[in-house]
Amino acid sequence: MNSLSLILHLAGKRTGPFLAALGLSLVTLAAGIALLGVSGWFLTGAALTTAGLAFNLFGPSAMVRGLSLMRIVARYGEKLVGHDATLKLLADLRGWLFRRLVPRVPFQGRLFRRGDLVSRLTADVDALDTVFLTAIGPILTALAAGLAMTSLLAVLLPDAAPIYALGFGCASLALPIALALASQRPGEAATLASAELRMRVLDAIDGHADLRAMGQTESAFRAFSASGRRLTRARTRQSALNALGTAGVQAMGGVTLVGILWQGLEALDTGAVNGPVLVGLLLATLASFEAASLLARGAGRLGAALAAGRRVQALAASEPTILDPARPSALPEGSSVHFEAVRFGHTPDRLVLRDLSLQVRDGERVAIIGPSGCGKSTILHLLLRLSDPEAGAIRVAGQDIRTVTQANLHRRVALLSQDTPVFLGTIRDNLRIGCPDADDDALWGALRAARLDGFVRGLPEELDTWLGEAGRTLSAGQTRRLCLARVLLSGARIVALDEPTSGLDRETEADFLADLAAATRGRTVLLATHASLPDGAVDRVLRVENGRLSPQ
Amino acid sequence: METGRGPEGRVHMRRLMGLWRQTGPLAALSVAAPLIGGLLLVGQAFLLSGVLHDAVVGKVPRMSLLQPILGIGALMALRALLAFAGEQAGARAAETVKARLRKTLFRHILAQHPAWTAERASGALASAVVDQVEAVEGFLVRYLPATVSAAILPLAFAAAVFPVDVVVGLLFLFTAPLIPVFMALVGWGAEAASRGHVQAFARLSGLFADRLRGIVTLRLFGRADAEATVIEEAGDDLRRRTLGVMCIAFLSSAVLEFFAALGVAGVALYVGLTYLGLVELRTGALTLQAGLFCLLMAPEVYLPLRQLAVHYHDRANAKAALAEIAELFEGLPEAPAPTIGHCPAERPGRAVSVFATDLTLTAPRSRRTILSHAKLVALPGEHVAVLGESGVGKSTLLEALAGLRKYQGEIALGERSLSRLSEDGLRRDVAYLSQRPHLFQGSIADNIRLGQPGAPDSLLHKAANLAGVTAFTDALPQGLDTPIGEGGLGLSGGEAHRVALARIYLRDPGIVLLDEPTAHLDPDMEERVIEGILSFARGRTLIVATHSAALAAAMDRTFVIGGGALLPVLCPRRALSPMPQQGAA
Repeated sequence: MNSLSLILHLAGKRTGPFLAALGLSLVTLAAGIALLGVSGWFLTGAALTTAGLAFNLFGPSAMVRGLSLMRIVARYGEKLVGHDATLKLLADLRGWLFRRLVPRVPFQGRLFRRGDLVSRLTADVDALDTVFLTAIGPILTALAAGLAMTSLLAVLLPDAAPIYALGFGCASLALPIALALASQRPGEAATLASAELRMRVLDAIDGHADLRAMGQTESAFRAFSASGRRLTRARTRQSALNALGTAGVQAMGGVTLVGILWQGLEALDTGAVNGPVLVGLLLATLASFEAASLLARGAGRLGAALAAGRRVQALAASEPTILDPARPSALPEGSSVHFEAVRFGHTPDRLVLRDLSLQVRDGERVAIIGPSGCGKSTILHLLLRLSDPEAGAIRVAGQDIRTVTQANLHRRVALLSQDTPVFLGTIRDNLRIGCPDADDDALWGALRAARLDGFVRGLPEELDTWLGEAGRTLSAGQTRRLCLARVLLSGARIVALDEPTSGLDRETEADFLADLAAATRGRTVLLATHASLPDGAVDRVLRVENGRLSPQ
Repeated sequence: METGRGPEGRVHMRRLMGLWRQTGPLAALSVAAPLIGGLLLVGQAFLLSGVLHDAVVGKVPRMSLLQPILGIGALMALRALLAFAGEQAGARAAETVKARLRKTLFRHILAQHPAWTAERASGALASAVVDQVEAVEGFLVRYLPATVSAAILPLAFAAAVFPVDVVVGLLFLFTAPLIPVFMALVGWGAEAASRGHVQAFARLSGLFADRLRGIVTLRLFGRADAEATVIEEAGDDLRRRTLGVMCIAFLSSAVLEFFAALGVAGVALYVGLTYLGLVELRTGALTLQAGLFCLLMAPEVYLPLRQLAVHYHDRANAKAALAEIAELFEGLPEAPAPTIGHCPAERPGRAVSVFATDLTLTAPRSRRTILSHAKLVALPGEHVAVLGESGVGKSTLLEALAGLRKYQGEIALGERSLSRLSEDGLRRDVAYLSQRPHLFQGSIADNIRLGQPGAPDSLLHKAANLAGVTAFTDALPQGLDTPIGEGGLGLSGGEAHRVALARIYLRDPGIVLLDEPTAHLDPDMEERVIEGILSFARGRTLIVATHSAALAAAMDRTFVIGGGALLPVLCPRRALSPMPQQGAA
């Protein structure tokens, strides 16, 4: 129930709205139960008074009208307040998780398959934030209503109270919890099967040409179908549990009603209760099970949310792999880079870099070339402390980078990585990630250096053009230039560029590289590439071979 | 292309309903079960009110009422059973539909040219097959049965009450013609509410996913904390904006609540006042049973409508999902026709000539012309090299020859036109190594066996040895059984190429097309791989695209691509001299 505490912890910060939503839903439920109960009591009472006895008409009829009105208003308020509270939780949860993840990225090891982390985390968080409205809130409301109803029965029809407490407790507490627990395993299986299915599709798309060339599309289809069947099985089990829950609540309602009716009729025979009260209580019992039937639906999601919460919690609580030193040193001025006998491997038996050494002077531009997978990117990642080497040292301006804070290091060294994204937002927003308080002159300067100013000036909204989903999409070349402008704007004296021209066609690539010298003037540049470099783009070219660097 | 909304959206929904109807009894049961359950409810209410009447008014002892009480219990049990059966049937029908949809989409992807998939974001395609298909479930499982119930049950209940009390029956019947109005109202309100909610949700989710995708970049720029605040503030901003929409949208459900409450209160007051003699609208006396029966039925008349309102957004979700799929696939793909066999291929293993005339190729994105009316001839058993600067279109040419890309002009393999060969025959006859071969998740051996599933170990080892795979697998503890791909060992570009080459060595093609088979290799290894290629290609037609002088020198004939033309070269060394530095050695 670790994950439940996570939800409650976050909800606890918004106690007010959640309590209001809970209170209003309780009023709604209570008004609904009372409306049917009072109506039954009033109607039976009226039917019995034809004998001529006086009947106070005013009270009950006013109650009936008042309760209906109360129910409508409370339901409306509950929806509004609940929506408000959920949206607050939505933002809180994401903000909280994001802050927790920052010091932990990039995740070491291969916990997550490509693209899986983002889609899985968003799905998990989505599963978490509706759980309060669909499961926890209704359970609490139902329990409160059940308690009130039991107390009422204990006074008016004591023999029936235990039956009701048992029946309603089963339907609104035991059954949902059992469902939530039972649905965890198929829920987990469904998540896994769905991830597997996604992997099959991605694998088939990436290897489409190979599959076609080998005439093996049929075997890819068979593997896909097998994963699909696993997903179907898991989902079928999930829905069977849900259906069982719905039917279980109905059955429980039936048993409780019959039980109370049986006890009530005995009480009626002995005169312990009068007719109108008995009818009122029975109708109220029927109405109260409406709350339980809502619960059965939410319970399935509770199981999924518990699993999602566990995963999110595990990630948020994992140890950060790269830590700042306890007593950080200052980073001296300068922009030289030294690698001293650096050794690194993702797995111990396969080293990527072996005793790699590299000296780059202030303001020097160095290209690192070599086949893909040879460790070019690794060199740049090590420079930014996205990983730490197994042996050797890396110095920036003569200072070992493990002795300075990462924030300081990142101010000095900027990385244009292979997968640097364009963020949802305007061009201005995207640039300002490099430097939050840059004025427009600085933005245009960076765009000019990246040779994107002409294009942006041609846009109707210039810097305020919206990018990303539902906004404008940039071409691959423009995207890389925008990201370069962002790096240039950052003011970092050392710039690490990881395959800045991947995904560009030849002409765009040549243009980009030809502009590079002018754009990065005055900075130290490490450029990892396998493009052919035009004259004057860099001062030196080094090749990675067998985990070491050799001059080209 | 059309986005699939509007009239197209309706066509897609009809397709979906068609698939659903094909599940036959399952679909029927999922709709019928709530209807039957509703009718049983009438009986249950009648029995319950009867028991109460007899006990309260008639003072009948409870033992004499045992039979109807057990009847009530039986009816409730039956209804629970029906609810279970209906929900299960609906879920199974939906699973069948989803599985069918998924397979259709996946088949469609596989049947396209690789260029088609390359033009689309792989994540979006995977999401369409996995997530969007999942999104139609609510519509099938909940919305469809709820619609039928909302259309039929209120009228049925009104009809059931009519013989008991005309006035209450009339009250229900009077509101019955309003039901379509209610449904429209519910639809409008629920759709607006769900649109508002879903949009807020999706936007915030999208923003979160977007920032999460770039979290490393944000961290490196020291902007992560600021962006966490952006996420929180965006949530707050969205909350304020959607709340305005919700204020109005929730009114529609309040109206339904109002009618439901009015029904109960109205019936209670009318019946009560009739008992007290204050209202005289009926001819005969009203029994307690009749009064209670009316009261019990009153909330049930409005319940199906309220349930429909709850599930209304499922329809919008399904519609949006189908539109998304249709946009990506340029229309909702039909179940594919069985593959049509054309000409059978040449006898396997026999060298086949390759003859391309008037061949015109354009780059997929830039529409740049790569080859214009070019001619290429490779005689049976001949070994041909194609040279040219990187990016000039060597790979495009090989893809076209492998039947993996559209082209204009004529390509003939042996006596037969490429365009008329059956897929099976083509694959049997032509082996092709792409420039960036993909390694699938699994072991190295699994990846090699892609060339010939079920190939015996001896053949596998022979192929692996010939391709130079054993040169690096021998050093691995698990050898050829080492897992690779995501989550496994990362192979370098050169190693991956050799694994893919070994796949081809398990086959028996007449034509071998290799795209830079010796890229990323050091000279010693390259020599070994070239030896392997030559030994395998003996007696087969071989066309290689390459930068390597050593490989080109081992071929019988050389062409160079440049300026949109394919020109024969007499001295391959000279053609290679202005090559950029990345050419091996």
